[in-house]
Amino acid sequence: MSTPVAAWSRRRAWTVRAVGIAALVSLAATVWLGIWVTPPDQVQHDLVRLVYIHPPIAWVALYLAFGIGALGSVLWLWRRTRSPFWDRLASASIEVGTVFTALTLVTGSIWGRPTWGVWWAWDARLTSTALLLVMELGYLALRRVPGDPEARARRCAVAAIIAAVDVPIVHFSVVWWRTLHQGATVLNANLSPTIHGSMAWTLLLGFVAVTLVFVWMLLVRLRIETLEQALEGAELDEALQERWAEGDTEAALASPAGVGEP
Amino acid sequence: MSYIAAGYAAALVTMGLYAGLLLRRRRRLEALAERTGGDAP
Repeated sequence: MSTPVAAWSRRRAWTVRAVGIAALVSLAATVWLGIWVTPPDQVQHDLVRLVYIHPPIAWVALYLAFGIGALGSVLWLWRRTRSPFWDRLASASIEVGTVFTALTLVTGSIWGRPTWGVWWAWDARLTSTALLLVMELGYLALRRVPGDPEARARRCAVAAIIAAVDVPIVHFSVVWWRTLHQGATVLNANLSPTIHGSMAWTLLLGFVAVTLVFVWMLLVRLRIETLEQALEGAELDEALQERWAEGDTEAALASPAGVGEP
Repeated sequence: MSYIAAGYAAALVTMGLYAGLLLRRRRRLEALAERTGGDAP
């Protein structure tokens, strides 16, 4: 069943707006608590304030955005569940995720300069995250290669699944190799968070806020993807109708005897 | 403190710019779709 492309149900538009407002409010609260309310850390002092945004951004970039991207790709490749929706979802999620991966590297680098004394180190965690960003950019480039939409969806799905192999490498890099990067604060091997009190609540709020920002961006990006594909289809239909009209005229001109036939 | 300000500014400005870009692109496509009257899948 099809719906007019310009129409977006009032309920859906309201949901997206509500998610956007919730994202803005929670993000503002995280910034306020993170910068002005929470105490400085015993070891990191004021630099701990960057921890309220850096791990939440990394969580969205690595696990959420790429998880949805890989899942959408698998569901598109699997014949039983194949639907253009999964391709659109994977594409939208990986594009938004690319912004968050770049931000993970930038915020991490800003934290690393005063902590480690360098903006960048060829450390296992940093290098594997940079590799993920390069693969995401490759995915986006692949999406823009012109051609049959189904072939494009297939090659992009395969590329996303290959790139997804890097996600567990990024996660376990701090365990498998000796790295400059600190170990997991919340999702560590003992599942025992090493952060407490107002600092823990602010970090949790940071996770909620950045996740809401991602969900809002994903919904809007998905809408854009749907509109673009629908317009591509409409343009193709228009071109085909014009071509058929031209073909009818040519046929009529080629056989003038047939014009008068009943 | 300047590193903290730089970190927060980088995150907020990038997210804000990308959100603005998304909204502009969506608005333009919706206007185009309304003119052409195409069908969404």
